[in-house]
Amino acid sequence: MFIHNLNYSLKTLLKNKILIFWTFAFPIILGTFFKMAFSNIENSEKLDIIDIAIIENDEFKNSDVFKESFKTLSDESNKDRLFNTKYVDEEKAKEMLKNDEITGYLILEDEPKIIVNTSGINETILNYVVEEIAQSETIMQNIAQKKIQDAISGTIQFNSYDVLYDNIYNEVTNIIKENSEANIEDISNSNLSYTMIEFYTLIAMACLYGGILGMVAINQNLPNMSNNGKRVAMSPTPKYKVVFSSVLASYIIQLIGIALLFVYTIFVLDVDYGTNLSLIILLAVVGCLAGLSLGVAVATIFKANDNFKTGIVISFTMFGCFLSGMMGITMKYIVDKNIPILNKLNPASMITDGFYSLYYYDTLDRYYFNIISLLIFAFVMIGISTISLRRQKYDNI
Amino acid sequence: MENVIEVKELTKEYKKFKAVDNLSFEVHEGEILGLLGPNGSGKSTTINCILSLLNFSKGSIRIFGKEMEPSAYDLKREIGVVFQDVAVFDELTIYDNIDYFCGLYIKDKTLRKKYIEDAINLVGLEDFKKFYPKQLSGGLLRRLNIACGIAHKPKLIFLDEPTVAVDPQSRNNILDGIETLRNNGATIVYTTHYMEEVEILCDRVIILDKGRIIASGTTDELKELAKIEEKVSVEVKELDEKYIEKITELKNVEDVDYENGLLIITYKKGKNNLVELIDYMKKESINYNKIFSERPTLNDVFLELTGKELRD
Amino acid sequence: MIIFKTFLKVLNKCKAPIIMYTVFLIFFGGFNMKTSDNSINFVASKPDILIVNQDKEEGITKNLIEYIENNSNIIDVEDNEEARNDALFYRDVNYIIYIPENFNKDFLENKNPKIDIKSTGDYQSSLAEMMLERYLKVAKIYKDVYSSETELIEKINDTLSKEVKITITSKLDTNKLDKAAFFYNFTNYCILAGCIYVICLILSSFKRENINKRTIISSMNYKEYNRKLLISNSLFAIVLWVFYVLLSFVLVGDIMFTSHGIIYIINSFIFTMCAVTIAFLLGTLIANKNAVNGIVNVIALGSSFLCGAFVPVEMLPDTILKVAHILPSYWFIKTNEEIKTLEILDFETLKPIIMNMGMIVIFSILFVIITNILSSRKRKIS
Repeated sequence: MFIHNLNYSLKTLLKNKILIFWTFAFPIILGTFFKMAFSNIENSEKLDIIDIAIIENDEFKNSDVFKESFKTLSDESNKDRLFNTKYVDEEKAKEMLKNDEITGYLILEDEPKIIVNTSGINETILNYVVEEIAQSETIMQNIAQKKIQDAISGTIQFNSYDVLYDNIYNEVTNIIKENSEANIEDISNSNLSYTMIEFYTLIAMACLYGGILGMVAINQNLPNMSNNGKRVAMSPTPKYKVVFSSVLASYIIQLIGIALLFVYTIFVLDVDYGTNLSLIILLAVVGCLAGLSLGVAVATIFKANDNFKTGIVISFTMFGCFLSGMMGITMKYIVDKNIPILNKLNPASMITDGFYSLYYYDTLDRYYFNIISLLIFAFVMIGISTISLRRQKYDNI
Repeated sequence: MENVIEVKELTKEYKKFKAVDNLSFEVHEGEILGLLGPNGSGKSTTINCILSLLNFSKGSIRIFGKEMEPSAYDLKREIGVVFQDVAVFDELTIYDNIDYFCGLYIKDKTLRKKYIEDAINLVGLEDFKKFYPKQLSGGLLRRLNIACGIAHKPKLIFLDEPTVAVDPQSRNNILDGIETLRNNGATIVYTTHYMEEVEILCDRVIILDKGRIIASGTTDELKELAKIEEKVSVEVKELDEKYIEKITELKNVEDVDYENGLLIITYKKGKNNLVELIDYMKKESINYNKIFSERPTLNDVFLELTGKELRD
Repeated sequence: MIIFKTFLKVLNKCKAPIIMYTVFLIFFGGFNMKTSDNSINFVASKPDILIVNQDKEEGITKNLIEYIENNSNIIDVEDNEEARNDALFYRDVNYIIYIPENFNKDFLENKNPKIDIKSTGDYQSSLAEMMLERYLKVAKIYKDVYSSETELIEKINDTLSKEVKITITSKLDTNKLDKAAFFYNFTNYCILAGCIYVICLILSSFKRENINKRTIISSMNYKEYNRKLLISNSLFAIVLWVFYVLLSFVLVGDIMFTSHGIIYIINSFIFTMCAVTIAFLLGTLIANKNAVNGIVNVIALGSSFLCGAFVPVEMLPDTILKVAHILPSYWFIKTNEEIKTLEILDFETLKPIIMNMGMIVIFSILFVIITNILSSRKRKIS
C-alpha cells in the first residue's frame, strides 16, 4: 500500500507540468539569467585601462618626473599599466573629452590641473596618480633641500658643487628606490566572489519552492482539501501511510530537482560551493526538508484552493530570498547587521548563509548553526502540521 | 432482512442552520435506497456524516452493525463511494486512476487487474483506457468517477448524484450499471434530485427537505400521499367557459385548469374517470386532438407535501 | 461598453500580482536610490576602509590612522573577525588594514614592520591600497632623512596634503539623472510583467474556447470586438504607465519636470505600448491560464536581466548585450542611459534617442503583424 501510493504520488507530481516548471525549470532559468547578468560584475569592478590625454606644452616637456611617470604608467608591456595616454594640444583634448573618448586630460601650468567631465572612479584614479606624481616631486625637493642643508652645515663633506649635486641626486634616487616597496601582505580569503550569494539564494529558493510539491501531494489526500482526498479517506488505508508516502514522494522529486540544479550550476554556470562536498549535500538535503515542511504546513493550515496556497509558498519564499540577498546582495548583510533575528527565522537565509559559510569560512560553527536552525524550522512546521493532520473528522468539507 | 445501515437521530449543525435535523432511517441489505430532495436539502451532508467524514452534533450511525468511525478500516473495505464532484487525477490515465484508487483497497495485483477490467466494462470505458480525464466528455468523466468508486467490489455503495449534467446515453449506461451492481448483491444508497431515476431504480425512497425526512416508503406508497389518483390532459383548441364549470362538476374531479389549449383535469379518486370524461365531451361535441391519462409523479408528492416543486 | 465593463471585472481579479510588482518597484526603487547630496563639485570616490589597530595610538601609527581617516570612509563593525569578514565579503568595507603591535616603535627602529590587509580586489580597494602604499613609502623615505619624529610627521603631512586642481566641465546633475535612469530601467520589469500578466490573463478569459465561440456567433462584428478589447487593454496599460510616472515624481523628484524628465516619460510611454503588443502576441499564443505566470516571469525577468534593467548596462558582458539587441527592452534601457549624458537637447543630440524609440516602434509593429497572422490563421482552423 505504501509503495503503491508512493508510485502514484510520484506519477501525479511528475506529470504536473506547472509544478515541475516552478520547481525544476524556473530555478535553472533564473540561474542562467543570473549568470548572464552577473558574470561580468566583479571583473568590471577591477581597474580598466583609462583613456586620458596630456597637453604637450613646455612645462610638461620640462618635467622629467611627469614625463617618466606617465611613460611607465602607459607602457603596454607594464603589467600594472593604468593609462592609455594621448599627447595632444588643448583644442584636441577638449574635443576628445566632449566625445567621451577620454576620461580627462592633464595640463601642467604652474601646478598640474585636471579637467574631467564628471566625477567617478576613473576620474578619481587619474586624480590620485597625478597627485602622487606631484607629491613625489615635493619629496625629491624636500630631501634634496635637507641634504643640501646638511652639506652646508658641514655634516657631509664635499669638494665641489657639481659633485655635491651628483651625490645628492644619486642619494635621493637611491632612497626613493630603496623605499619603493611598502611591506604589505594580503591575508584575505581568496573566495570573495560575492555574486555567489545570488546562486546560493537560488538554491534556497529551489529548496523552498519544493514545498509546493509537498503541498500538492498532501492536498490530494485530505478530504477537507480535495475530492480525491475524500476518496482516499474512505479507503481502508490508514491516513498516516498515505500522508507519509505522498510526502516522501514529493521529497524524492524535490531532491532530484535540487540535484539537477546543482549539476547545472556547477558544470554550466561555474558556481563555487566550496570544497566540502558531503557538507554541501547535507545542507541541500536539510534545506529541502525545510521547504517540504513549509509546504506541508501551508497545505494543512489554510483551507483554500491550490492556487492560493501556491501563492503563499511563493510569496513567503520570494520575501525570504529577498531578505537573503536575491534581489540585491547587500540586503542580506543589512538584515544580518541590523535585524539579525529576522534572518535567523528565515529559512531562505539559513540555507544561503550555510552555503556562504562553507564557501567563505574555514571553520564550521556557523555552518552547523544554520543546519540546526533549519532542522528546528522543519520540526516546528511538521509539528504544526500534525495538529491538523491528526484530525480524522471535519466540521466542514 | 438485515439492516446494513442504521441512522439514529442524526443532527448536523453549521453555525447558522441545521443541515440535517434529527434524521433516523435504515437501509436494508440488497436494496437500492433513494435519497430524494431538492438542492441543499441535506443529502450530501447526510452521506458525509454516515461516512464519518464530517463531525455531527448528535446521533449514532452503525454500518453492518458496527460503529462507523474514521479508523474503521474493516468497514471501509466494504464501502464504495461515488462523490458528487468528479474526483480523479488529471495527470493519470483512465486506467491508472482506477488502479490507484482500487490499489488503496486491494493489494493483490492480479486480482486488482481483474477488478479494474470489470469496473471498466461495467461503465463502458473499454475504448478509453489510455485516455486522460481532460480528453473525456462530461458523461464519460462521470462514468470514470463511478468506476473509481466501485472498482474494489464493495458491498455497500453510496452514489451521490452520479448523473448530474450527463447526456442520455451515459445516463442510461450509468443506471444500467447500478442495476447490475445491485444484481451482484450490493446495497446501494442513491441520492438525486431526478425523480424519474428514483422511480425507475429505487426500491425505497426517502424524501428530504431542509434536513428533515418528510416522507419515506416505496414509490407506490409515496404516490398515495399525493392525494391524487389520476391526471388527465386534453388538447382542446377552443373551450367555452361554461364547459369548464360543467367539467368541474363531474364525478371525482378535484381541479380543472385550462391554459393555451391544454385542459388538465385532476382526479382525487375513483375509476373509469377517463371514460366518463370522453363521454361527456362527445355529448357536448367538444373537439379534441389528444387525450391522455397519467399517474401522479413524485414531483406531485413533493408538491403536495411542501407546496413547492422538486426542481427549482 | 459591455466589453470594457467585463474587462474591469476580470482585471479586478488580478489586482494582487499588480500590487506585488508595484511594491517591488517602490521597495527596490526606494532602497537603491538613497538620497545623497547633489553638489556638482568633484566628489572623489572614497573607499570604505576598516582599520584594526593593535598598536598604541601614537606617533606614526596615529598619523597613519588620521591620514586614512581623512581620505576614506571609515567603517565600524562589531569587534570580531567574523563581523569583519562578513563586512568584507558583502563589500561593506573594501579594505581592512591590520596595524600590528609595536608598529610605531618597529617602524622608527627601521625594522620595516609588515602590515596585513584584506582586500575585496575591486577598484575601491585598489584606491585604498594606493593610499596605504603611498603613505608607507613617503614615511619610509622621510624616515631615512629626518631623524626627529615630529619633523618626520610634519613633513609627511605636508607632502601628502599636496592636492591637484581638478575641474569638472559637465553641469549635469548626474546624481539625480542616475536615479531617474535607475527608476525607469526598473520599470522595464514592472511594465512588462504587469502588462503581459494582466493582458494574457484577460485574453485567455475572453478567448477561452466556448466564450470565443459565443462571441463569434454574437451580433457584434468580430473586428470591432477585437478593437474594443485592444482599446480596453491599452487603457489599462496607460493607467499602469501613468501610475509609474506619478511614482517617479515622488521617488526621483524635481528632475522629472525638466526636459530630460520628459524624455524619460515619453520613452516609457512608447515602451508601454510596445509591452501591450508583446502581451497581445503572447495572449494569442498561450491557451493555458496556468502557464501565464511562468511565461511572464521568464520573459519579463529574462529581458530585464539581459538588457540591464537590474544590473547596470556597462557591467554586462558584451556577448549578452549583442544578443539583447533583438529585445525591445534593450532599446528602452539604452535611451534611459543615453539621456543621462545629454547636456544639450537639440535635434543633433536627440537623434540617437529618436532612433532607439523608432526601434521600439518597429518592434511593436512587428508584433502586431505577427499577432494578426497568427489569430487569423487560428480562426480559419476552428
